[in-house]
Amino acid sequence: MDFVCNIPFISILLSLFSGTICSVLPGRAAKWVNTAVIVSVGIMSAILLVYVNGTQESFVYMMGHFPAPWGNEIRAGVLEAGMALFFCMIMLLCMWGGRKKLDEEVEESKHNLYYILVNLILSSLLALIYTNDLFTAYVFVEINTIAACGLIMIRQIGRTLEAAVRYMIMSLVGSGLLLIGICMLYDLTGHLLMSNIQEAVAQILEEGTYTVPLVITMALMVTGLAIKSALFPFHAWLPDAYGYSTISSAAILSSLVSKGYIFLLIKIIYRVFGFSVFHDSHIINVLFVFGLAAMIFGSLSAIKESDIRRMIAFSSVAQIGYIYMGIGLGTKVGMIASIYHIIGHAAGKALLFIAVIGLTDASGFSRSFFDLDGAAYRNKIAGIGFTVGALSMVGVPMFAGFVSKLLFAQAAVNNVGKLMPTMIVLAVSTILNAIYFMKTVIRIYTPAENTEFAVIPLKREKLYGVAVVLFVILNITLGMLSQPVVDMIRSGLEMFA
Amino acid sequence: MNESVILMFPIVLPVLFGGAILCVPRIRSRSALLCAAGAGLILTALSVLAVLLGNADTYTLFYLTKSLPVYFRLDGIGRLFAAVMALVWLLGGVYSFSYMKHEKEEKRYFGFYLIVYGIILALAFSGNIITFYLFYELMTLFSVPLVLHKGTREAVMAGLKYLLYSLCGAYLVLFGIYFLFRFSNTLSFTWGGVLNQELIGGREPFLLFTAFLMILGFGVKAGMFPLHSWLATAHPEAPGPASAVLSGIIVKCGVLGVIRTVYYLFGAEFLRGSWVQTVWIALTLFTVFMGSMLAYREKLLKKRLAYSTVSQISYILFGLSVLDGTAMTGALLHVICHAFVKCALFLCAGAIICKTGRTRVDELKGIGKEMPVMMWCFTLCSLALIGIPPTGGFVSKWYLAVGALKSAVPVFSWLGPVVLLVSALLTAGYLLPIVSDAFFPGAEYESGSFEKKEADPYMLLPIVILTALAVAMGVLSAQIVPFLQTAAG
Repeated sequence: MDFVCNIPFISILLSLFSGTICSVLPGRAAKWVNTAVIVSVGIMSAILLVYVNGTQESFVYMMGHFPAPWGNEIRAGVLEAGMALFFCMIMLLCMWGGRKKLDEEVEESKHNLYYILVNLILSSLLALIYTNDLFTAYVFVEINTIAACGLIMIRQIGRTLEAAVRYMIMSLVGSGLLLIGICMLYDLTGHLLMSNIQEAVAQILEEGTYTVPLVITMALMVTGLAIKSALFPFHAWLPDAYGYSTISSAAILSSLVSKGYIFLLIKIIYRVFGFSVFHDSHIINVLFVFGLAAMIFGSLSAIKESDIRRMIAFSSVAQIGYIYMGIGLGTKVGMIASIYHIIGHAAGKALLFIAVIGLTDASGFSRSFFDLDGAAYRNKIAGIGFTVGALSMVGVPMFAGFVSKLLFAQAAVNNVGKLMPTMIVLAVSTILNAIYFMKTVIRIYTPAENTEFAVIPLKREKLYGVAVVLFVILNITLGMLSQPVVDMIRSGLEMFA
Repeated sequence: MNESVILMFPIVLPVLFGGAILCVPRIRSRSALLCAAGAGLILTALSVLAVLLGNADTYTLFYLTKSLPVYFRLDGIGRLFAAVMALVWLLGGVYSFSYMKHEKEEKRYFGFYLIVYGIILALAFSGNIITFYLFYELMTLFSVPLVLHKGTREAVMAGLKYLLYSLCGAYLVLFGIYFLFRFSNTLSFTWGGVLNQELIGGREPFLLFTAFLMILGFGVKAGMFPLHSWLATAHPEAPGPASAVLSGIIVKCGVLGVIRTVYYLFGAEFLRGSWVQTVWIALTLFTVFMGSMLAYREKLLKKRLAYSTVSQISYILFGLSVLDGTAMTGALLHVICHAFVKCALFLCAGAIICKTGRTRVDELKGIGKEMPVMMWCFTLCSLALIGIPPTGGFVSKWYLAVGALKSAVPVFSWLGPVVLLVSALLTAGYLLPIVSDAFFPGAEYESGSFEKKEADPYMLLPIVILTALAVAMGVLSAQIVPFLQTAAG
């Protein structure tokens, strides 16, 4: 086994332990440790990606040299390495973009706490990506939940506490369902390692016994993860959690944390039950319907919202709906589209959150849509960032959102039964997206009549500017050069099976 | 690096100049701005000329996905549209030099004006529907700042309306593209269509529906009923030269889209005799009539001209919808003629607003005494739009009518020309009273009480050139028609 194969393990461990180290460091040092960890994990993931791309096959890493069925396993393929790399990039940019805001909004003494939480989130995300073991997955789902709660309420304003409690309750319901599902599955199959469970599941189906419990198990796990990733109608916790937490938290939560759960779900679909088993159950249709509903209702809520940050949060509901709709199409192309949308939406939504904070700061910290007149002139880079993010979300060519819509449509065309609903909802939801995003873009570029708000020069916010520019580049790159990414996802999914 | 890279110059140059005007803070003074904008306009027009005279063929820019290249190709239709666009846009730009003195935010105006210049030329050169769609969306986005330039609440709402209508249209098109992609081997524009009969296998009704959606989608930009109402809102709100190019050129991009869809993707044969053709013809004829009626009732000059555009563009769409070579020649002639005429008329309206501040038709009594040269151009353009020989409008409408009669579409082959005639009468009805009032204000106006307010040369020159072209087109039609006939297959 090459040394490179240690990377998944090292990166999980590194981020986990750096969290511990941060607890005894002062805030400034913790900041540097955090940045260094994210960058080094990103670099390692890139190396891993190159390596796995070269060998073109995934590998299983035994923890502590105990062989399967007893040991704990990590598994890495092209998709896992690519996701880890991408998550690191987004996380780094989210941290940079929200750094100044974090310094302002969070008490000095809690800064190192914040970096602990971020490191924990990173480690749990990496674990969710790499794990080949349902129990490990559950453990890190819990770590993720608790760290995310911390991220929400680190900015102590009345509403955030409420939001965090809401998030906690909904999230725990989700993980509870997931846990019951895992327990039942363990009962049915006697295994916790994904590859072993899949064999056992195939055997159960062959014998024709326990089919109903199996479907229930599947339903429980899917529902649990759907709640945690805010699929409509389980999204009630989301607008407050994303709308009031400090901006790095909001960006990380919306673009990474919910996506980590979806990725785990995809992994469970492929690696635990097997895609064909999942496809034949009717759960897939339920996901499809809820995905479609989310696309419409998320956008409608966003249109009604006059608080700009909650508007973007509601837009996340719609975008999560796209992802579930793609999964629900039940084809490989649909799955590729969903995973591409995970990436594209993460890049776009994080950019929007980061850009919006620049705009509200330039409008006297008012979050009301009606105070944003001319904000893009007062904070130019944020205006550009918001415009690019909005265009990407609406699905204008050249940006990431367009490619994922193209992929969704291609997937739908291959599925005759679900073709018309998908197409119609895709069109309607796009128009709805256009309504609220374009409305905002035009408003921020409408010169204000009486500008009592000061212009925020770029010189004062260098790191913020760099983050926004890199996000913009990321979005355009994903939109223009989508083929390598799609190829990566395709070969990664082949390695899953 | 092949020689076809020359196709990129007219696209990249104005975008670069426009971007520079928007981004470089060094361009502060008005003269520097005008130098940059002028250089951009002229260099672009020259590079279009070089492309048209050269023998560029295809140029692939990059691959969106493996099967979807973004590439440019030069063909007859593309040449025609590029030539008209380049010329009218250049003249509109020259006019803006003087007109925009009275507006704020000139930098933003010229920046976006130039960027859209590049984008519409890219539309003319697009080699497949994906490239076309890409630039079509970009055109919408970058032309919005031109519409809402004034920044008033009405202007912003007009811009938003324009944007939403256009996006709706674009998504109808995109919807169509998805299906087309499935039933064809390629999405490159090929005369006669790209449909693969083996893949279709009995799904014709569905594909017809797709074709209808795409026609409807492009029809939004072309102001076809039922999604025409943005035009009458957006055009009057935009500054003079912007509404001129919106009406003269941007709506033509919708026409170009329809031509590409019908003749180059689905193929005329596929649609001939189908319900799509019938509904489409009915829609265009209805729009022709409705647009003229609305214009006739309208008292605001720019809005009247906007409704007139709704009507006139549907002349073009009617010519395309009967699926006949002669009618298509007429449609292409009308594309050129209407671009010149309507642009000139809007520029006249702009000049009137700029010099006298009058916007309503009934305020224009005696304007012919104040601005004689401009009003003469207005008169000639009105005659051309009505279709009085020997102007360009006569030739194009002649071909449209002859083509319709020849096409043997039941009922519409005779109903079409009748509607066109009625609409021509209405056109006379809403344009000629302005002219007669302008020159013969009536007894209550003293002949000596008018002071000369003639527009300055930068504004007058484009109007005169466009008028001359519109008139000359009729005289020189013998030279133009053969070229169009080859383009129209």
